[in-house]
Amino acid sequence: MARKKRKGAEEGEVEANLLPVMNIMFLLIPALLLAMEVARFAAVNVNPPKFAASADQKKEKDDKKKPLNLKVFILEDGYRISAQDQQEGADAGKSADSSKPTIPLAKPGAAMDDFDRYDYVALEAKAKQYKSLFAHETVVTISAENTIPMQALIQTMDALRGSKCRLAKAMKGEKVPEDCLFWQSVVEAGAG
Amino acid sequence: MTTPDQLFLAKKAAKKAARRDKVEEVGDLNITSLMDIVSIIVIYLLKSYATDPVIIMPTAGQKIPLSHADAPITDGVPVYISSRAITFNNKKLVTLDDDGNVDPAALKGHLIGPLFDAMAEEADKAKAMKAAQGEEPWNGRLILVGDQRLKFSTLVNVMFTAGRAEFTEFAFCVIQTGG
Repeated sequence: MARKKRKGAEEGEVEANLLPVMNIMFLLIPALLLAMEVARFAAVNVNPPKFAASADQKKEKDDKKKPLNLKVFILEDGYRISAQDQQEGADAGKSADSSKPTIPLAKPGAAMDDFDRYDYVALEAKAKQYKSLFAHETVVTISAENTIPMQALIQTMDALRGSKCRLAKAMKGEKVPEDCLFWQSVVEAGAG
Repeated sequence: MTTPDQLFLAKKAAKKAARRDKVEEVGDLNITSLMDIVSIIVIYLLKSYATDPVIIMPTAGQKIPLSHADAPITDGVPVYISSRAITFNNKKLVTLDDDGNVDPAALKGHLIGPLFDAMAEEADKAKAMKAAQGEEPWNGRLILVGDQRLKFSTLVNVMFTAGRAEFTEFAFCVIQTGG
């Protein structure tokens, strides 16, 4: 009994040295903070549809050549694209042909939640083609079928804006880079 | 002559006396390292909260869309549209069904009733505050924090409702990807 007490008293005197633990913590916390994946938020600015042009805008339209009026409709089976109120790929004599998309799916038969089912590369190539013909145009009207997921809409906007387009500096007043194609998006329902 | 028991008791008494006389040692903790850690955390948190003018706090289970866009989020009022509900001003206002459609009881055409009431109230407050401060008119900017699977029809309904509540500028909140 006495021996046990003596042993306990001797062990009780030992003080834990916290310094090495603190040093490890000091290294661990910055390491974890650095390893942590931080989501960086950004904004994609969109314009609501304008239902009627003002008198000045109408006069301006009359003075200039016919505007591009680029519209992209996201269908479940691809993109329908129209410019100057004429759908690309429509049957002869028709302004629109809803039976087939202008750009079909990149992955036909893929599920709706497979966001890579659309051919974003072909869409961007088409946007570049229009941009080379109408260099001053920056606006595109985007619409979609009711079931189209938001991620597909965002990726479509990315493709139309141009994959190399960086607008952060332009938002601070600098000139919009030439890599940017149709960077002003108007989102509306039933624009097809 | 002393017996072993007496010797033991004498030693014990001596030790007891020594223990009583001993001045108690005060435990000293070195907090320098701890302060270093706390300083780093405080700076990190200050930096991450001070960068964005709007703090985006996605709701549970919400997957924010990914994009190449790099434009920063500017001032605005966020509305969170997850696959389950629409949240505005920290209030869950409308529930969405399993297909991601707005509860029909809350919908009149494209107008989402409870959301419109909350947005109109917020718009009135913001306008009154701007007027009281003598600042330039309220710009009515809404930040739509959606979900990757959010249906276009629901998105349009929210935009229509916000438009009716005098929000005129819209931005989609996205997570910036490297490419």
